[in-house]
Order: sequence, then C-alpha cells, then structure tokens
Amino acid sequence: MTGIDELLMRQRLLVAIGPGGVGKTTVSAAIALRAAELGRRTLVLTIDPAKRLADALGLTELEDRIRMVPTDELSKRGVEVKGELYAAMFDNAASMDSLMKRVAPDVETRDKVLRNRVYRAMAGTLARSHAYLAMERLHEVMHSGRYDLVILDTPPARNALDILDAPSRLATFLEEGVVKWFVPNAGNRGRGLRARLMQGSGAAATKLFEVVVGKELAGETIAFFEAFYGMREGFHMRASAIQGMLRARDTSFVLVSSADATHLADAEALAAGIKARGVRIDVAVFNRAYERLTHADPLAIVSSAGVLDSATTIRLLFGDELHRSERDTMSTLLSSLHMVRTEAAASNQRALESIRKLSQLLPSDALGLIIARLDGDIRDLPGLHALGPYLAATRSLPTA
Amino acid sequence: MAPRRPDGSCVGREASAYGKCTLAVRPTARPVVFGRGLGYAAPEFVRSKPSGASLPVNLSATSLLDRRLLMFTGKGGVGKTTLVAALACEAARRGRRPLIVELGHRASMEAVFEVDRIGYEPRDVGRGVHAMNLDFESALAEYFEEHIPVKRVARTVIRNKTLQKFFHAAPSVSEVATLNKLSALEAERSPTGGVRWDPIFVDLDATGHAIMLLNLPSVMEGLIGDGPMRRLVDGFSSLLTDPRRTILNLVTLPLELPAQETVELYQRLRKHHDVELGVLFVNQVPSRPLGPAQAGMLDRLEYRAQKVGISTLVDDVAIARRAMRYHVNARSQINRMQRDIDMPMVELHNVASRVLDLDTVAHIGEATFDLLDSGQQRESTNVGVAPRR
Repeated sequence: MTGIDELLMRQRLLVAIGPGGVGKTTVSAAIALRAAELGRRTLVLTIDPAKRLADALGLTELEDRIRMVPTDELSKRGVEVKGELYAAMFDNAASMDSLMKRVAPDVETRDKVLRNRVYRAMAGTLARSHAYLAMERLHEVMHSGRYDLVILDTPPARNALDILDAPSRLATFLEEGVVKWFVPNAGNRGRGLRARLMQGSGAAATKLFEVVVGKELAGETIAFFEAFYGMREGFHMRASAIQGMLRARDTSFVLVSSADATHLADAEALAAGIKARGVRIDVAVFNRAYERLTHADPLAIVSSAGVLDSATTIRLLFGDELHRSERDTMSTLLSSLHMVRTEAAASNQRALESIRKLSQLLPSDALGLIIARLDGDIRDLPGLHALGPYLAATRSLPTA
Repeated sequence: MAPRRPDGSCVGREASAYGKCTLAVRPTARPVVFGRGLGYAAPEFVRSKPSGASLPVNLSATSLLDRRLLMFTGKGGVGKTTLVAALACEAARRGRRPLIVELGHRASMEAVFEVDRIGYEPRDVGRGVHAMNLDFESALAEYFEEHIPVKRVARTVIRNKTLQKFFHAAPSVSEVATLNKLSALEAERSPTGGVRWDPIFVDLDATGHAIMLLNLPSVMEGLIGDGPMRRLVDGFSSLLTDPRRTILNLVTLPLELPAQETVELYQRLRKHHDVELGVLFVNQVPSRPLGPAQAGMLDRLEYRAQKVGISTLVDDVAIARRAMRYHVNARSQINRMQRDIDMPMVELHNVASRVLDLDTVAHIGEATFDLLDSGQQRESTNVGVAPRR
C-alpha cells in the first residue's frame, strides 16, 4: 500500500462517501490541500450546509460561487503550495431553481414548474433531490476544464448511495414511469391526462393518489409532473452523462469512516452497496481512528501499554527528594497515567480490529489511510496540512 | 437504598465539579475511555431547572412511560437505537408491554436483540419487548387497503414498481403513511380491551425526520381543503401535539457538531412546534481522567521524565493531557447544552467494552429510569439541586 499522492496526481474526481459525523468534510479538505500542494488545480465541493468546510479551511463563509482559497498562512510557514485550491458550498434551493432554468425547453415550462406549489414544497423538503443536485452541479464543474482535480464531499446522508441512484432514478421516473399516465401526449396518439384519468389503471392510480394526499394536492402534483415531463430529455441526457462520470477510470470513490462500532456498521453497508452498483472503492480513510501513544513515531498504532513499576520509576526520577505524601500522590499519578495509557492502547487494539474487519470488504489493492485522533478541531490550512503525513503514509493495513 | 450495578458501583448523589448536583452511576476503576468506545455505562442525571421551581410531574420514569408515543431523535451514530432498546427493556421489566418502532429500512434493532429479522409485523424480540420496522412501502400498502374499497384494485396498484416510485417522489405521502400507522398502533387494543402497546418507542431515522413528521400539518395546510384528508391530518396533528400522549426526546453526544445540531433542533422545535419535549440524553460522556492533586503534579513529572530521559513517561503525560482535554471539551459542550436547552439532561458515561450485550443494555435502561425517579424524589423534597447557571 502506498499513500494517496499517486492517486491525486492521476485522478480527476474523488467522491468522498461515508456515515455522518466521521469528519468526512475535514478529510476531503485535507486531501484537496494535499493535491494543491502537489501542484494540482484542485476544487473541493461540499453540500453540507453546516459550514464545516469553511471552518476547516479557515474561511468565514463559503457560498455557491466557487472561490479561491488563500494559502498565505502556509507559505508563511514555509509550506509550498504549487497548485491552486478552490472551494464552494452548493446551495440546494438555489441549485434546484437554476437547474430547472437550465433544463426547461422553454420559458413557459420553466415558469409553470417554478410557480407550482408542489414543486416549491418538494424543492425544499425532498432529501433525495440533494444528491441529484450535487451530481448535476458536479458534472457542470467537471466540464468547465478549470480544475485538474475535483473532490466532492457528499451529503451527510445515512444513505450515500443516493448519489449513485438519484440521477437515473429521476430520469427513469420521467422517461417511462407512471408520469405518462398523467401527462397529455406522453403516450401514443395523445391519450392524455384527462382521458386516462377516466379509464383503467391511470384512473385507479389517480384515485389512489387522491386518497393519500387529497384531491387538491393530487391535482397540483399532476400539474407539476405535466410540466416536468417536458424536461425529460434534458434530464435523461444529464443522467447518463453523470452516471458515466461517476464510473469513469479517472474517478475514485473514497470511503471515510471512523473506527467506531456505530460508524463501521454504516460504512460496511455503504461498501457493500457501492460494490453492488459496480463501483470500486479505491481509498478507505479511517479518521480519528487511534490515539497517538508515542511521540517518536506518531504514525505508529501502539496497542499495548507495557508494565508499570512506580517505585522504581519514582526513585529514578526523584531519588529521595519527595516527601512521603508527595511520593504517594506521585505514585497514584503514575498508576493513573498507566491506566489512561492502558485504556488508550486497548482502544487502539479495538480500532485495529474494526479496520481489519472493514478492510476485508474492500478491494485488496485499495488504499488504507489511518489518521490519528488530533487535538481539537481543525480550523485552518496549517491544521489541514498536519493531516498530510497520515494521507501520504505508506503503511500496511492490519491483516488477520 | 441506592441501586447497585453488577460491577458494584452505585447510583448515588454526588456533587459535581461543574456547579451542579448530579446523580451518577460511574464505572469503577475506569478513569477514561478513549475514542467513542461503545457508549453507555453509567447514566448521570442533571436537572437544569432552578431549585424550588414547581416540578413538572412529566419527568418521572412512570410518567414518561404513561405517554403513548415516546419519540427519540438525534443524528446517526449517537446511539439512539441502543438507548431505545435499553429503555424498552426496562419498561417491560416494570410490567409494561412496550413496542419499538424503527422507521426506515435500518434493522439496527436486530443486532441489539440478536434476532434474525424484524419486519413490519411486531414481533417478540425477547425480554418482554416487541419490535417492528415501519417501512414506507408496507405502511402505504396498508393505508391503501384501509381507504380503497376494492382491495384487489388497491393491491394491484400497490405492487406496481413505477407507482411506488411515484408515491415516493410525491410530497408528504411518506409522512402521511407513517403517521397513519403510528396512529393505528397507538389506538390498537388488546382482546381484554386495554391498549395493546404500552408505550410505543419510536426510533426516528435522523434529526430531520422528526421535523418532517411535525411539519406535515403545516405543509399540507395550503394544499388540502376540507374532507377526509383534512380530518386525518388534523388527527395526526392532535396526537403529536398532545403532551399527555406524545413526548419527543433528544439524543446527542458531547461533541461540538452534534451539540450544535441539538441546540438548533431544540430552538426550531420550540419556535415552530407544539410537541412536548422530554429528556435530553447525552451519550458517551468521558469521565475525568485525573483528579486535581494528580493533575497538579503533571508538570513536575514531565520535567523530570524529560531530564532523566524516560521517553515513554513523557508520552504518558502527553496522553493524559489529551485525555483531560477531551474531558474538558465534552464538559463545555454539555454546559453549553444545559445553558441553551431547557430540558432535563441524562448523561450516559462512556464505557470500554468489547461487547455491548443485552444484559448491559437492559441494565442501562434500568439505571436510567431509576435516575429519573430519584431525581424526581430529590426535587420534590427540594434537596441538593443547584440553581441553574
């Protein structure tokens, strides 16, 4: 196994996926910075509205518009950034509207959709649309030619598989779906909505729908799909392009997890789901996975604590100079320290076991990166830079 | 008599270093746990009401269990599932007939109760607990069959894959079907005439889920007229906002991001929704690694260790300092939540354990409910509750 550098030089798109709360955004930012240091024009994108990316990059805010991240803080410390670093946080409500504008074949269709109350309700609340919109924007950015490498921090959804499913789901839905039953001129010979409502399965479907959401909402929803249907070709083309982009050779999926039991269950499910969709995970990052127990080699995952002989240690350190009460406190302190170390070593041991377990689900040549628990939250580029050695480390994943 | 844990540690009163009187069950001889461990050991109860304030009777375990729907929300990975399982086990031990309802296709309860499959039909998962998985498709199918006179037509359309996608994409359908099932479970009666489920624990999928369910009436407001649909949604609304029937509990971790999200969720709930709020559970709280006297000698020890050249000891000091920082950070997140969230708080201490078995889970539930009960007693005698802030 080697560090991530070779991949950063070769690939055009990295998609970071993983359970919520593992530091996916921070890891994405650290990878992006590393790529920029190596000379790549790198863009890191998030759609997490929690401002994590801005925080990690030391910026007060990020918006929908892509901006360059100043790297002076690093140059001051003698770290050379040969490439460029850009960042943006996609705003989904704005994205949805602008997407409609791009896809709509004409102004009339566009306005019909944008004014529709069901669209307004869906644009704000439909969680699934986030995944689709992210893919949509990503596709646009990838084709701008302005960046050598794009790193996408995916939504903090439990089901990150949505990013793979969403594009085709929407396209299929529009293409061949039940929408036809509701939409005039969608099927053959203009057997449109009103006609179909009066007969057969279309009528049953509409009736069912009315039962579930009520007549008014059903009517409005049907109107929405009528308008939406006019955009199906646009959606379909985009969906295939996006699917192609996600499965391209120069795209890599990066699974980010912690080594905690709660996250690993989710990570395992993700890994299996990704595999089932014919996509490879090239990198697994285990973030905040272990406690650094040795100053000499912070990368070492020490998983044993050693033994404690406090009497000898105290004599070695202080000779006879301690009072009896001081000696007692010092002795208690030493055993507390030993207990803390023992606990930390045991925790590292558990982490190694968890990592081993998850690694078995990944391709055997996948890259395994293990990051130690660092002090405090990362709030600037120097903080992100400190993750570099962990990303670049060549180390073997523990094997059984 | 304070309840005893299997390891001999004891539920008892303890003046905490943070200006509040707390009730704690602490693990013995485990000063610190690194990382997240598996969560859960010793619950600690913190009241955040001013001393002498009249006590809302809604906090005792009994009173909590008298609600029909106990909902739990919090972001993924905070340990909701284990907590819900723990409380349900204890409810059963106290003679109730609890049902756990998991939303979505998660099946996390299967692992906790070590059973093979939990489906849409409530099943006995042991320890007197029943569990079910309320998945959207089944709930929708059931809803259709209730409301469509011709069952055959209903079933045909329900089985249609494309139609399923359609209902998935349509607004509010998922919430309507889910709430319809929850209402039905709430109303279900046993052959003897009493309620069948007592109470119903609802393990909500993610933070957004609670809001989506609570938002349903207002989302529907402009979209539905009068009629059966209106009556149905009004019915859900009154169930969710009836403080005697429904209570929403929050679960979080003492870390910056989860704490921030919890404060935001709380503010949103307070501002926009009438739902009754129950207990804030803070999970995986680290214990204090070193006492003050020991911490006071750290510098001296480090200096000597460097001078004599015992590098492992220098490392140990660094590790301990880090453990202390984790602890301080966790405390500051807890303090911040106590300041910004006006809900009673239960701290669940971090524990290092390889396996969180069902016995341990059940014990956590017992200790948690005992704490709520004892907090209740203390409050009513007005003893030892420190003023807020």
